Amino acid sequence: MDEVFRDFRLALADGDGYGLAAILSPVAPENDAGRLYAFYRSSNAHQIDGDVRYAVKYSNSIGLSRDESSAWNDVFVSYWKAVGEILAAEEGENMGKLKDGQWASVYEAWKSMTILLIKYHLSNIFPAWSIPCLYLAGKYLRIFAIKADSQSVKVKGNVTFNAGFQDDVVSSIGKNDKLEDAARQLNRMFSLCLGDRAPIEDSRKWGTYYTANLLFKTHFKLNAISLSKNIIRSIQAQADLPTLDLFPKSHQVTFKYYVGVITFLQEDYVQAEDNLTQAWQLCQKHAIKNQQLILTYLIPCRLLTKHTLPTSNLLDPYPRLQSLFSPLAACIKQGNLAGFDAALQAGEDEFVKRRIYLTLERGRDITLRNLLRKVFLAGGYEPLKEGQTEADLIRRTRIPIIEFAAAIRLGMGPDGQMLDNDEVECMIANMIYKNLMKGYIARERSMVVLNKKGAFPGTGV
Amino acid sequence: MSASAQGSSSTTKAVVSDAKNGDAKEIEKKPTQLEEDDEFEDFPVEDWTEEDTQLPSGNTHLWEESWDDDDTSEDFSVQLKEELKKVGLNKQG
Repeated sequence: MDEVFRDFRLALADGDGYGLAAILSPVAPENDAGRLYAFYRSSNAHQIDGDVRYAVKYSNSIGLSRDESSAWNDVFVSYWKAVGEILAAEEGENMGKLKDGQWASVYEAWKSMTILLIKYHLSNIFPAWSIPCLYLAGKYLRIFAIKADSQSVKVKGNVTFNAGFQDDVVSSIGKNDKLEDAARQLNRMFSLCLGDRAPIEDSRKWGTYYTANLLFKTHFKLNAISLSKNIIRSIQAQADLPTLDLFPKSHQVTFKYYVGVITFLQEDYVQAEDNLTQAWQLCQKHAIKNQQLILTYLIPCRLLTKHTLPTSNLLDPYPRLQSLFSPLAACIKQGNLAGFDAALQAGEDEFVKRRIYLTLERGRDITLRNLLRKVFLAGGYEPLKEGQTEADLIRRTRIPIIEFAAAIRLGMGPDGQMLDNDEVECMIANMIYKNLMKGYIARERSMVVLNKKGAFPGTGV
Repeated sequence: MSASAQGSSSTTKAVVSDAKNGDAKEIEKKPTQLEEDDEFEDFPVEDWTEEDTQLPSGNTHLWEESWDDDDTSEDFSVQLKEELKKVGLNKQG
């Protein structure tokens, strides 16, 4: 108890928000593994109120207002109770004797503390600099909610096995109860930050992106991504919010990542690329896993927006991305349609899970473009007329459809053998329509006449 | 002559696609261990300097064009050239 309040005094005196938040952590610090236990054992349910009151009062050498002093009092009592639940649940888990609903009790206890913190921030009793306490509360509220839900699913799951499919419906409705509840609290936190009217030096607005990020994570887990769009919209509508680059980089990168993924899923690839690129560039050097997540979306994105592929330089540090994307990239470059299809199929489960399958599938057009481009290059140059020099060389731009057909048949492997020339013309017409190829089909001569200045836009020929 | 060329090309393809299937199995194994931590992680620190970002890494060549003009020796390009030659010969003949 003494130790906790010694730190409390120090943090208050320094106005150290993160220091203050660390005191309310539900996880003991590494260098003091017994801290939670010692804190919990130093009091009991009857005395905790008085103990905390005495300690907070004693801490008050720095002149807390009566309101603030009593508010901290409430928070610490609530924290003490939550710690009791946490220790019990952890012990139960370690001994394999976890009671039904035990993580739900942890969640409820932690939620009580969280609600107090929100309340005292809303009423301006806690200073804005102590906002990291809200971050901490929100972060673990989500974690405990997930634990509580997964414990209750396990319990319910056992019941439903015998009870037939009717109960199945019921259990799937209730399976995210706590997390949905947590989302409501996090939403209150977010609104409280976003809407704070204090002068910006001393504003809770600095908590906007952190709490938005917590909500994004929660919505993704709940598969309710449309809710995240509302968050983005309300941030955009808040004209007096400081620009994102003034926030800590961890807030920036996480926010850019989620906005990037959300716009990616809406197929707004230009926005997505912009956000993901910034997230990638600002991401911390050693945060390999986060970099990997960013690239998982940035790579398909750039394939569509810029028609570019990752180099081995880029992929080398990420063996997983390498095994996921390298086979595809190699086939795209070669114009190997059958290989592309096989690589897409091989990674299908993973691609679908990451929601990038449909985007990658559109890489087939690029593969075909590259194949047709190879035919064009293989066609060589028009013979020089008299008086012309090497500088006048132009590529042969009238290409018989049978050449393209031969290439596509080869590119498609066994499937290609059945392809007739009408189908080939159709594929070429599609390429022209999509602006991947410039020219027209001269049907009566069975030729494709390509544009002399840029037959394949953006590819140097 | 062209029939035998096609025969040989389809056997190489079969070998290639077998290898692909092998890869597929490996890929399928991996997601299970990744499923749990598929979430954007909290950074160990709140803020960092530009030196600690990806920006100054000097690793410039990260993206390349999707087409490849250099490597004309790989199997597929060689096969393509053969095919085109055959079409050209047919036309002349």
